[in-house]
Amino acid sequence: MQNAILKVDHVKTYFPVSTSIFAKKQYLKAVNDVSFEVGEHETFGLVGESGCGKSTLGRTIVRIYDPTEGKVFYKGQDIGRLKGDELKKFRKEVQMIFQDPYASLNARMTVGEIIREPMDIHHLYGSKQEREERVSQLLETVGLKPDHIRRYPHEFSGGQRQRISIARTLALDPKFIVCDEPISALDVSIQAQIINLLEKIQDEMNISYLFIAHDLGAVKHISQRIGAMYLGSLVEIGESEELYRNPLHPYTKALLSAIPIPDPQVMRKRAALDLDGEIPSPLNVPTGCAFRTRCPKAMPVCAEVKPELQTVGTSQVACHLYAK
Amino acid sequence: MSLLEINNLVTSFKTEQGKVQAVRGISFSVEAGEIVGVVGESGSGKSQSMYSLMGLLSDNGVIEDGSMIFDGHEISPAKFEGTQTEWEKYMEDIRGNTISMIFQDPMSFLNPVLNIEKQLCEPLIYHKNIKDKAELHKMAVELLTQVGIPSPEERLKQYPHQLSGGMRQRVIIAIALACHPKMIIADEPTTALDVTIQAKILELIKKQRDRLGAGVILITHDLGVVASTCDRVNIMYGGKIVETGTADEIFYNGMHPYTQGLLSCVNNPEAEDHKLRPIPGSPPDLLAPPAGCPFVDRCEHAMKVCKLYPAPETRLSETHKVNCWLTEKGKI
Amino acid sequence: MNEEIKLTADLFEPLSEDEKNHEFIAAQSKTYFQDAWGRFKKNKMALIGLAFLSVMVILAILVPMFSPFEYDGMDLTALNEMPSLTHPMGTDKFGRDIFVRVMYGARISLSIGFSSAFICLVIGVVYGGIAGYVGGKTEMIMMRIVDILYSLPNLLIVILIMLIFGSNVISILIGICITAWIGMARLVRTQVLTLKEQEFALAAYVLGASRSRILFKHLVINCMGPIIVNVTMLVPSAIFTEAFLSFIGIGISAPAASWGTLANEARTLIESNPIQIIWPVLSICLTMLSLNFIGDGVSDAFDPKKK
Repeated sequence: MQNAILKVDHVKTYFPVSTSIFAKKQYLKAVNDVSFEVGEHETFGLVGESGCGKSTLGRTIVRIYDPTEGKVFYKGQDIGRLKGDELKKFRKEVQMIFQDPYASLNARMTVGEIIREPMDIHHLYGSKQEREERVSQLLETVGLKPDHIRRYPHEFSGGQRQRISIARTLALDPKFIVCDEPISALDVSIQAQIINLLEKIQDEMNISYLFIAHDLGAVKHISQRIGAMYLGSLVEIGESEELYRNPLHPYTKALLSAIPIPDPQVMRKRAALDLDGEIPSPLNVPTGCAFRTRCPKAMPVCAEVKPELQTVGTSQVACHLYAK
Repeated sequence: MSLLEINNLVTSFKTEQGKVQAVRGISFSVEAGEIVGVVGESGSGKSQSMYSLMGLLSDNGVIEDGSMIFDGHEISPAKFEGTQTEWEKYMEDIRGNTISMIFQDPMSFLNPVLNIEKQLCEPLIYHKNIKDKAELHKMAVELLTQVGIPSPEERLKQYPHQLSGGMRQRVIIAIALACHPKMIIADEPTTALDVTIQAKILELIKKQRDRLGAGVILITHDLGVVASTCDRVNIMYGGKIVETGTADEIFYNGMHPYTQGLLSCVNNPEAEDHKLRPIPGSPPDLLAPPAGCPFVDRCEHAMKVCKLYPAPETRLSETHKVNCWLTEKGKI
Repeated sequence: MNEEIKLTADLFEPLSEDEKNHEFIAAQSKTYFQDAWGRFKKNKMALIGLAFLSVMVILAILVPMFSPFEYDGMDLTALNEMPSLTHPMGTDKFGRDIFVRVMYGARISLSIGFSSAFICLVIGVVYGGIAGYVGGKTEMIMMRIVDILYSLPNLLIVILIMLIFGSNVISILIGICITAWIGMARLVRTQVLTLKEQEFALAAYVLGASRSRILFKHLVINCMGPIIVNVTMLVPSAIFTEAFLSFIGIGISAPAASWGTLANEARTLIESNPIQIIWPVLSICLTMLSLNFIGDGVSDAFDPKKK
């Protein structure tokens, strides 16, 4: 990609798990060799079931976790090597919006203090008064009232809190935001508000997103490209329309056919979901293709060789069904 | 006569800040063998109305008005024939027996220190008075098989933390089915689950409804879930039911602006070039709910009358009713 | 439908945006402490305790300042007197006014109680906070040091310190604080351990906040409830330790007086003048009782779900 703002290069994030002192050290393979790029002003969607490592990947990208192997490049720089002022600049430009609007705001701070904090940390604007003005401005951007400034987070509804959280990240004029399931804890009518708000500020402030979700429907709407993740690996990457119209990997197909659609007639005609069992433990990833234990089309080769991502049409897919 | 009839139920909570009017006069009925959806945002009163029905309100909650007739018996505490203790005893006999409940968070419902078999057998021992160990075990195995849990013999010995979220929810459903209930109340049964698991659980609920012929109330905020399961739908907003009808009436002919708003802000990836049109603002604060229509502050068609008076009920068909002033607009 | 409503065409005019009131919040805004105070006020026993303690503090400050008698002023003409108008609690074997001495003792006992609680608060929060937040090897070493300190016999250390530094207020403070902060440190550590994984702490980290800012502005402030409850427990235990030390004769020594010293002095006259021992003992008991009531009230106020 020509103007990639973010490049994830063969990243593995493992967590050591000790079952007992004498047992061999085990690793929870949360992210297992993932590579992709996100372009400027692009939204890259990342979907998968809970436990597939998508949140860990998001946290690795903002450097909450360090990758066990592989590198993350932001604007061409390896973020693992950033120090001092460069790190501070990275922290200013790369932000994260969290899933749980009840846990992501400090309950002892007022809304004004919460939104002002990033500006205090990075010493933006000359005076406190200018920061206060910026806070009111940000509240307005996210559709809240200036007189909410002195209230505490617990007085707001989930959707309002998520907007406060967005205002906080915007205070730093970020260039790249990792949205870690920002809508999955919200009511449907509020989800649309948040998605539209994110799209609006993307256009106004020229931001790139990594949008993580477990609901392919929501991701399709906001993303230009989507990656489907299963047990720590990307199984398919494609243009969002193409991935939706013409999914290649059996897992992507299953995810798509499970989305409930608000149309009773469509739902009545829909066949039962062709996906059995549940996601295996990331402590014990199946050999070969991780999805083979649930795949309706599994073949003997799937147990032996781990499929690599290969280009099929405009998409990339990791599946032996498409072996050349 | 309907299996369940709720009439003008009013429930409120006393808090330090004042009285929260959670449920403000709702009426609906459930027939045997049908799935009725109750759709609303958090804080719309949908869960609290069910807790009122089950006699499970927290200490500061009180049912102020209304009647609830289940299976021919009045079960609202104020109108129950008998003393408070007799009512409590009666509700205890009903709960988990003729009405059972499926909760959103299976982990908080299951007891972490009891194995699955003990928890499955509990309602059988308590309500059906079955003491024989071998018989109990056989029934437990059968229940797990019914909800599609593979190798039930081993699962019975396990503890809740050893099961995945989807498995736990299946166990909850098995417990709910144990006494062959006449009615099942499912409170956001799939909200905490992945879409692939959600589809399976919803299929399971439908299948069990067919098998037992029980009435089901499905509480959810997701219209997609409703479309795939419900026969009839009640749309709740700000403690009131604003529209009710069959699934087709609601989805293809929804009249209330809130219903329409919900439909247009839901991701329908099937639709060509679907533009999300969110409902602006936030749900009303039920400490001081609006005097008129609860949706007035977020409604794009709001009129002066909406702010002043609650909207009258308009009957559009035998099953389809809506509370909205727009239906009166042409008549003046 | 309501019959009283007169529907007119103008009622069906569209509502302007200004008349809509979305994003409206009815509840009054209250801070965490206002909320806790609201719950504390409802606890009658705690309020009585607080009132008694306040009276005690005010008397302890004012009585020795304005009384005609000095705490060490002897009056050989008035030995072992019974309570009277001039001497509300009588006099002791040297003719000293007991009321003044009890109030002077209150100064010492209460100030030891509060200042040791304050010292433990500062040390415990900083130590436990750092251990919990930094984690890894640092935490392991820090917590093992705490374990070692905790395993030492408390009283022995206090007595040793008194022997080395002499019996005065400072050495009593050191003696009490040397182990009393451990509970606080452990409490703060466990709290910080769970809080630091929460999303608001991660959010602050991603925003670029420094470690000390995250620790104090985000984590410690969120465990203020349990910390305050712990402090209200520390005060009575410190007062008690001091009284005990002085009573067995290794605490504050005469003519200075704490409640323990007073009780010790009166002990010898318990057969002839039993009333003299009642005053310091009563003061200790009532103060303890009110501190415990306050502690109960505070813990309910900050943790309403615990009940």
